[in-house]
Amino acid sequence: MRMKKQLLLAASGLTLAGSLVACSGQSSEEEQSGAKSGGKTKIVYWTGDRHDSEFIKEQVDAYNRTNADDIEVELVIKGDDFDQALDMSFQTSEAPDVIRVKENTIQTFYKKGFLAPIDAYLTDELKAKFPLMENLNSFDGKRYSLPNYGTTMRLIYNKELFAKAGIAAPPTTLAELVEDAKKITAAGKANGEYGFAQNFKSPGSALGRSARVIAETSGYGGFGYDFKTARYDFAPFKPIIEAFKQMKDDGSMLPGVESLDIDPLRAQFAEGKIGMYLSFSAEAGVYQSQFPAKIEWAAAPAPSIDGSVNGASGFLGGQWLAISSESEHKDAAWKFMAYMYGDQILQQYQEKGFGIAMVPSVSAVAAKPEVYGIDGFLPTARDGVWPVYPAVPVQGAKSDDAFFKYILSGGDLDAIVADLNARYNKALDAAIASGDVKAEPDPDFDPARLAGQYADE
Amino acid sequence: MPSFLLTVVLGIYPIGWAMRYMFYDYKGYGAERYIGLDNFARVLRDGEFWQSVVNTFAYAGGKLALSIPLALLLAVLLNRGLRGRHVLRAVFFMPTIISSAVMAVVFFAIFNAYNGVLNQFLLKYKLIGGAVDWLGVDHAMLTVVLVSVWGAVGNYMLLFLAGLQNIPADVYESASLDGANKLQQFRYVTLPMLGPVSQMIVMLAIINALKGYESIMVLTDGGPVGKTNVMFLYVYKLFFPTAGTGAASQVQEIGYGSAVAFVTAVIVGAVTVLYFYGSKQMNRYA
Repeated sequence: MRMKKQLLLAASGLTLAGSLVACSGQSSEEEQSGAKSGGKTKIVYWTGDRHDSEFIKEQVDAYNRTNADDIEVELVIKGDDFDQALDMSFQTSEAPDVIRVKENTIQTFYKKGFLAPIDAYLTDELKAKFPLMENLNSFDGKRYSLPNYGTTMRLIYNKELFAKAGIAAPPTTLAELVEDAKKITAAGKANGEYGFAQNFKSPGSALGRSARVIAETSGYGGFGYDFKTARYDFAPFKPIIEAFKQMKDDGSMLPGVESLDIDPLRAQFAEGKIGMYLSFSAEAGVYQSQFPAKIEWAAAPAPSIDGSVNGASGFLGGQWLAISSESEHKDAAWKFMAYMYGDQILQQYQEKGFGIAMVPSVSAVAAKPEVYGIDGFLPTARDGVWPVYPAVPVQGAKSDDAFFKYILSGGDLDAIVADLNARYNKALDAAIASGDVKAEPDPDFDPARLAGQYADE
Repeated sequence: MPSFLLTVVLGIYPIGWAMRYMFYDYKGYGAERYIGLDNFARVLRDGEFWQSVVNTFAYAGGKLALSIPLALLLAVLLNRGLRGRHVLRAVFFMPTIISSAVMAVVFFAIFNAYNGVLNQFLLKYKLIGGAVDWLGVDHAMLTVVLVSVWGAVGNYMLLFLAGLQNIPADVYESASLDGANKLQQFRYVTLPMLGPVSQMIVMLAIINALKGYESIMVLTDGGPVGKTNVMFLYVYKLFFPTAGTGAASQVQEIGYGSAVAFVTAVIVGAVTVLYFYGSKQMNRYA
């Protein structure tokens, strides 16, 4: 009996431990940041990017062979657990020296104190060359990263399925989007061809590449934040979500979108089974190497709600590499960073189709990327960089999850929007009160003025 | 001494770390604000969490109901002098040692609605009228349960086999002399004598089922619309929210996540204790 009790106690203890520690999986990385190896200064560079991994490996290898400062860079390419692994690395004092930062992570990394300012390394020439972008590479008057490339958002469509359905041009309004998806499905359903698809396995990723760009093009913040009033207002998303629901109800979406991830979606598009979807300029590289497309396809500007363009189609970027605040070799890290930000690498980055240059002097000389389909992704007068909205820890369902639920099962969209507005603004007020975020109304904010800074036409 | 240190470092310290944050509002950066029991009050109001509790019980119930009888059946069959039984044991055990995350990717290829192998097979033999979305709202829970059963059966089968091999052969001989047929031997000899082993196997199965989330994370990520979101996945996402490219920035909820993790642990612990005392009858031949 005593043994049973001990067993029970042990089982309960293990359960408790398992539960509480379930989420603290230790990083298995063995890199030791800042170590000296064979007289060389070793620095570690973490990236989560895979689309450019071969190119980056080549550049790092070249640097290791040629640099005269005895610096050796170890490149670590992380998977989807990049953010978690970085958290762990800082907790275990094994943080990398150079960190890849993105538009939706740099703020968090800055607030967590992961990043070191680089102002001391920036000459006047560099300051002039690389645009300063508040909250995207600069915080509270200090710079933490520099731009390299940007990512545009577009409607990606199968030209063959458009022709088969008798559609002359890509849709420019939500009504046309719904109608075209229906036509493509009607013409091709017997062959397993459908008008539209979204990667709803992650509603945040699905709507972050679709509803976001439609809202931004139409003049509304892509994440429900109104920069004029400094309040959350999801009402502008209603027609967008209604259109998505209509396509689902019409049977115009690929079967199984409910659990579809982005790569399976791309695989089906490459096979010619999807008429159109909305996504980023990285797709061009994807269809060249990862999922070689068997079809004629192109990219077009995302539709707006009613055809009028009152804002800017988001041009994402403004940051690339940053130095860890815990690096013991910040000077060496900067030397490597300066090498990576050299004109030759930045130029190649665009020309090989990994991204679209966001540094004016590079844009001016870099040739058009050598990638099929990239033309439709190049910046136009419609593209622009939106300011950064204050992210808040909302209680209850996130907006993407609530909208996805409506798309699948319907309900009262007005009530859903009212509930989202109430919960997001409550979280915003709490975050402002605690000093976690700043949110000031900007009555003169004009989203249309964001466009046109990266191309004239 | 080394084991004591390991227990402290790997067991007690992380629990203490998480338990401290249960009473704080902490986002992984900025100030750690003491908020008393507010996180627990929020747990009580958190409909998404309680839905994940319901999902967890549905998932665990389905997994146990299918995997335990199946494992016992396989163990009994493979305990006989069948030719090739050793190979079959290895085959059935193999899923246990394959990464559930890797297998979930394979299962996606089987279950997906647009070109999944299962739909193609069922359509070919006209067993279904049209493609079924096995990972959609209506069937996702059933699918993740089936995948989890596939991964668990071999393990429990092996444990049952060990139990079966500990039953003395003369007990069966006596039963046989008394005129008991095979079914009666199974009912009146095998099952009672497997009682203590079965009690432990089921307890392990309950704990594993209530804690399982890895294959669900890869297969459905808790969706669609939270239909397969289980407790541990919910906790995981509070600690490690992921912002995919273009998606909204995410805020970690370490304080609230710790409180939810504690409640989750209490639920799993309570179920285990209830089961243990409720299953005492299984031990009467121990």
